[in-house]
Amino acid sequence: MAKTNIVSDLLSPELLAQLERMELVSRKVFRGRMKGERRSKRKGTSVEFADFRPYVAGDDLRFIDWNMYARLDRLFLKMFLEEEDLHFYTLIDASTSMDFGAPSKLTYAKQMAAALGFVGLCRTDRVRIETLGTSTRKPGPVLRGRQSVWRMLDYLDGIESGENVPLLEGAKNFCLRNSGKGILVLITDLMDKEGFEPALRFLSTQQMDVYVIQTLAPVELNPAEQIKGDLKLVDCEDGDIAEITVSRPLLDKYKRTLDAFVDGARTFCAKRGMVYMLANTEVPVGSLVSNYLRQRGLLR
Amino acid sequence: MNSFFINTLGPLGWTLLALVPPAIIALYFLKLRRQPLEVPSTFLWSRTIEDLHVNSLWQKMRQSLLLFLQLLFVLLLILAVLRPGMEGEQQLVGDRFVFLIDNSASMGTKDEQADRTRLEEAKRRVLEMIDQMDSGDVGMVVTFSDRASVVQQFTDNQRVLASKVKAIQPTERTTDIMEALRVASGLANPGQASFEKGDVQVAEAKPATAYILSDGRFQTITDFSFGNLQPIYVPLGNIESGNVGILAFSTQRNAEKEEELQVFARIARFGPEPSEVTANLYFNNELLDVARIKLDNEDGTGGVQFDLGNLDIGKLRLEIEHDDVFPADNIAYAAINPPERAKVLVVSAGNDYLKFALGTDQIRRIADVTLVDPDFLTGEDYPKEAASGLYDVIIYDDCAPEVMPESNTVFFGQKPPVDGWKFTEEKVLPQIIDIAQSHPVMAFVNLGNVSIYKSSSLETPPGGTTLIESDQGALMSIAPRKSFEDAVLGFPFLTSEEDKTFYNTEWTKRLSFPVFIKNLVEYLGNVKQGQAETSIRPGENFTFRSNGFAKEVRITPPQGRQRVVAPTADNLFSFGETDQLGTYEVREGDAKNVSRYFSVNIFDVQESHIEPKEKIETQWETIEGQSAWLPMRREFWKWLVVLALLVLLVEWYIYNRRVYV
Repeated sequence: MAKTNIVSDLLSPELLAQLERMELVSRKVFRGRMKGERRSKRKGTSVEFADFRPYVAGDDLRFIDWNMYARLDRLFLKMFLEEEDLHFYTLIDASTSMDFGAPSKLTYAKQMAAALGFVGLCRTDRVRIETLGTSTRKPGPVLRGRQSVWRMLDYLDGIESGENVPLLEGAKNFCLRNSGKGILVLITDLMDKEGFEPALRFLSTQQMDVYVIQTLAPVELNPAEQIKGDLKLVDCEDGDIAEITVSRPLLDKYKRTLDAFVDGARTFCAKRGMVYMLANTEVPVGSLVSNYLRQRGLLR
Repeated sequence: MNSFFINTLGPLGWTLLALVPPAIIALYFLKLRRQPLEVPSTFLWSRTIEDLHVNSLWQKMRQSLLLFLQLLFVLLLILAVLRPGMEGEQQLVGDRFVFLIDNSASMGTKDEQADRTRLEEAKRRVLEMIDQMDSGDVGMVVTFSDRASVVQQFTDNQRVLASKVKAIQPTERTTDIMEALRVASGLANPGQASFEKGDVQVAEAKPATAYILSDGRFQTITDFSFGNLQPIYVPLGNIESGNVGILAFSTQRNAEKEEELQVFARIARFGPEPSEVTANLYFNNELLDVARIKLDNEDGTGGVQFDLGNLDIGKLRLEIEHDDVFPADNIAYAAINPPERAKVLVVSAGNDYLKFALGTDQIRRIADVTLVDPDFLTGEDYPKEAASGLYDVIIYDDCAPEVMPESNTVFFGQKPPVDGWKFTEEKVLPQIIDIAQSHPVMAFVNLGNVSIYKSSSLETPPGGTTLIESDQGALMSIAPRKSFEDAVLGFPFLTSEEDKTFYNTEWTKRLSFPVFIKNLVEYLGNVKQGQAETSIRPGENFTFRSNGFAKEVRITPPQGRQRVVAPTADNLFSFGETDQLGTYEVREGDAKNVSRYFSVNIFDVQESHIEPKEKIETQWETIEGQSAWLPMRREFWKWLVVLALLVLLVEWYIYNRRVYV
């Protein structure tokens, strides 16, 4: 019963139906550890013909093309493209700041991770979900196959906000644990007072196909409706205080600052081969996944 | 306090004012209690408001534009209270001031290149001086024209002084500063009763400074000592201002053709221009005649004569076409009044020459003569008629009444029953040595060929004038009595000796006698035959008797409402509200027709000569005018208040628009 709830909370049946027809796409072709469903650069055993090569002693006799031998009287080995699995990582920012909005940014991140993970599991990719604060908690399990959906959802359900880890530290720890190549989807609000740049720069060096999804709540994107009057703004993570008197010029200035911040992140990512996407928690996860992520090439 | 600031508050005021800025800062901190709100991150907000992190008191203050504006507002008010200003070299002298402001006619001059009249300039300067008064200083405001008026007694209330100065109105009157100086001198030089050693001064002398704001167009100050009063003369007006004015305007019958009226005017120019002016004569507001008048190059005067023919009663107005800075004297007024006949009573026992003189055509034209015996004086009618003022003049020929009548009188050889008249012992053959020919009674009377047998010399009551002077004393005098005049001849025309009556003098046979009688009737009978009433000056009293016995007269000024005037006991009307220039109409009782006119004109060289005097001459000294009148202390407190209000406005705007953080 609980599992059903999780499914309905994180993934609606309609969304699941959409996701089943999708697959994760990497702009790079990676070498997986196990046989998967996607074409590898490595020649291996699959149904997809790649090339012929002369037989040498020791080759597996099962791949000798006997028809060729009949025609040319020479032994050729028939080579097929190896079909490999894809390493798909989702790294969720579970800091306190993600606990804002309706739904909260964290819930939204979980929904997105669940959706993407489901796509991966359906395609027998190697799926792993972690949080930035995983160094202090048990890392998420490596999942594969549709039957692992429940475990994935279980893990996601267990993620709670409060892991106030600097973005750079979280990224470092992730890379230390996961040295392999693959697709990394980082879901965060990027609100790190030390700056997001060092963390993203670090990730960009890992030869991963990195997608950065910046999740922002309406209160951050359009504060005019909720923030009014003479206020003492308290930062939920470090208790920092900003005193403001809300005015139209101030709101305009905030908007310009936000735009500059988003543009900065987008430019930064673009320069380093990463894909950036801004997600408003008001936009349903289904439309985000089916529209925006498809447009950006993560899914097809 | 240095010259840039003037302290206007006491210690209590300063203490209260000093508490205001801390109070504002305290209120500011109370106002800082903002509503806390938890947000995901202050990251973007902090970037938006770069240095909003309020970590220190200084930062808080630095960021509060509203607080700054409020403090600036208070600071400006404090500065305004300190009355900052630039000192001119001219400063108020002393701590008691009498501001003598000339509001005579010439002060209405609007000098060239000035947008205000001299009086307005005087008021402006006095207001500046009042502003400059320190706390504790007292001031007094006196205006003067032909009379002085205390506008405000000594007070230290600058606001009251300023309001009284602002309320000063111009007049068309002439200038006499003496009364104003005496008023100003009142407190500075108290009763000078202590001349002898050991006398006690009745009041303590209080030195004061008298600021005389005038164009200096008044007579030399004589018989006045400033004493403790320090005069400072502030001349007003442009020394280069020119003016053309009418100095005289009168009408009279043509001596040769009695039915014809002649009008004379004299015009004077003060300044280099013009050499010629055009004068328009209006009769009852209709143009009657025009003349070009050449003004003499040397003394700048010119005259004009209009022959008008036979005109009825009406108003005359002469206007000269010239734009100058003092237009009030460019118009003169006169009027043609109906001829008035004198009622004359002659009490005589029998004097043929006197009867003859009274029967001439000239006398008959101007007077109704009633001849009676001396017995009439003891009859029933005489006391009533005498007491009612029925007669304009009564001639007593060698007789005298018991009670003086309410009329002008002439006594020949008898002393009037009035204190002050004395006849000395009769002397024989007095020699006439002088005749007051300037007096109307003696005009054209030649007594060089007249001898007198016996005569008493006269002593007159105070105010009397000798008309005929002999080697033995006055032979004829005239003296005032209430509103009348009594003329007394010290000898009779007939004399008796040893029961023989003979003529005491052969004057009665001379041509000068009927002339003398006509003069008496004309002058004492108050005869005016179609001539303009003597013009009076603004503010002067106009007195007249009614033709009949009106219980009241109604006088209509050139502008304004009609006034009703009641007579005094001797049928004399007196009207003093003659401030307006122009022709006044007099109607007797309920009569619709005008019974007489009288005119009010300036006709004063001192007023028309508008060039300001650079100094005042007194009997003892010369007061130099502050000709290079330096600017007074220029104070900025009003600007500071305006600036403070602007700051307040900006603060209000910012508070409402919240354009700041």
